[in-house]
Amino acid sequence: MTLTHRLYSCLLVLAMIALAAPKAIAESPLLTLTGAVDGGQVEILRSDLDALEWHEIATSTTVTDGRPLFRGVLMRDILALAGARGETVTARALNDYVIDIPVSDFHEFDVIAALYMDGTALTPRDKGPIWIVYPRDDHRVLADIRYDTRWVWQLVALHVQ
Amino acid sequence: MMRLTRPLRYGGLAALILACIGLLTVAAVNIVRIERQMQISATENMTWIFGQTQIEALNLAAALSSDADPAEVQLRFDLLVSRLNLLRDGPQWRFLSEAGLAEGLMGWRDGLLALDPAEGGDRAALAAHVAALSTALRGKASRVMSREWQIQSERLDSLGRLHLLALATVLGALISGTVLAALLIDRERRLIRSTMDQLRAKQLERDLDQERRTSEGYRRFSDLIAHQVRTPLAVIDSAMHRLTRPGNPPSPEIIRAKAEVSREAVARLVRLTDTALLMARVDRGAVEPDLACHDLDRIAAAAIEDLHESARALKTGRVILGSGNRPVTAICDPVLTGEILANLLRNAFLYSPPGSDIDVRPMQDGELAVCDISDRGPGMTPEELAVAFEDFARGARHRDLPGSGLGLPLARHLARLQDGDVTLAPRAGGGLVARLILPGAVTT
Repeated sequence: MTLTHRLYSCLLVLAMIALAAPKAIAESPLLTLTGAVDGGQVEILRSDLDALEWHEIATSTTVTDGRPLFRGVLMRDILALAGARGETVTARALNDYVIDIPVSDFHEFDVIAALYMDGTALTPRDKGPIWIVYPRDDHRVLADIRYDTRWVWQLVALHVQ
Repeated sequence: MMRLTRPLRYGGLAALILACIGLLTVAAVNIVRIERQMQISATENMTWIFGQTQIEALNLAAALSSDADPAEVQLRFDLLVSRLNLLRDGPQWRFLSEAGLAEGLMGWRDGLLALDPAEGGDRAALAAHVAALSTALRGKASRVMSREWQIQSERLDSLGRLHLLALATVLGALISGTVLAALLIDRERRLIRSTMDQLRAKQLERDLDQERRTSEGYRRFSDLIAHQVRTPLAVIDSAMHRLTRPGNPPSPEIIRAKAEVSREAVARLVRLTDTALLMARVDRGAVEPDLACHDLDRIAAAAIEDLHESARALKTGRVILGSGNRPVTAICDPVLTGEILANLLRNAFLYSPPGSDIDVRPMQDGELAVCDISDRGPGMTPEELAVAFEDFARGARHRDLPGSGLGLPLARHLARLQDGDVTLAPRAGGGLVARLILPGAVTT
């Protein structure tokens, strides 16, 4: 476990070094927060996420087999980073999938904004760049269609209100 | 018959209880299974997923035909690929395979990737490919929906079956529970009835016993009357006969002697009647003791005086009242206590040899007031002592002595009415000690 853990960390560092030079000039935002956030709009860059604490969740999902290992940052950490003040987050995906998520979800459960699944970076051709992942196997209540619809993939924007 | 039906009945009850528990368990298992099946999984949202793929194909086709900028085309391309990738994932792929809709889908995907605009794919060829893909997807969409509804209906059927099964088992449990309850109520009713029968039988037995004792009492009573009434009557008859005999008229001494004998016989008859009457009153509970503190010495002295008066002619000896230094106070009815002492004293006189002494000793014994009457007669054998307090039980040796056979039982009855008792014990040195025990009062 610790070995794979370290391997992931090494890969991550290597990726960061490789990506840092060309992307430093015009790094496009991964996620845009609007509404009740600092200054009305906050753009989250990859480097902002790298500065946060990363977490892992191994959980079953409704659209894959097995229990993939997801890696990302806590949703509540992202909201705190943007200074979000509100009770509901309207999440929007690349394909304009829109859903309201109560902010309380992020405090009750360790919901992460996953950037990696089984060590592979998520891309728009899969469910990336960001997939909201709930710790479904750790809480029985989460195994429910009402929570399943909040697993937004290809997440690009959050509107806080 | 009973031995056979009992295990049968218990077996039936046990079977019913087991049936109840078994049926309820089955019902519970079914309800749990229903609960498990009632979760909706996102895989059942295939119509939506498939629809989204279709939309992305149309979006890409639109972007390609409207000459949109390459970034927009790339985004739409990526999104369509992501939807096709989603269809390729485990649960979705299984759904499509089972529905026979998976075939060819991945070929479309590979064709698409080969025309990736990011890698310089031909835009016109891509447009043609996407248009064909859209048509292919449209053809499958309705079948995806129909398949999904089929699965849903099958699941509802299964839920319905489980539900019916649970309902049937609960109904079965209800029926066996009702039968069980009816059986138990029936048993309870029978139990109560048999208890009542037993009580009634016991009551009847008691009544019969009482009746037997009463009739035995009557028999002894008639025996007694036959004997004890005839003797004084014979004495009187003999005296009268002597006084009226023809020939020499009797001398005044003889007349007085015969009159005295006759009076004594009459007195015996009166006493006999009085005792029998009092006993009858005690028997039917008509005697109410009037309890108060009384000096037992004084009651004993009065009883001795009465006895001396009525039995002067006996001249059998003297009664010595041995009073202690302290007065003996008893909680008693003085009339009833006097009657007891008179009875005990008469017995002592009756069985004492002529001229012997009779001791009467009232004394305090702890919280009790006691009066011992000791004679120097022949005493009683253990067998006689054992039955001495039964009605009309007279020692065989003393059958010819005057007496009702009711004296001792009456004395004991009267003592017990006052929360006391009468006991008999052999006297050291010969004779009998009759002891009256009464609740004492601590003198102040």
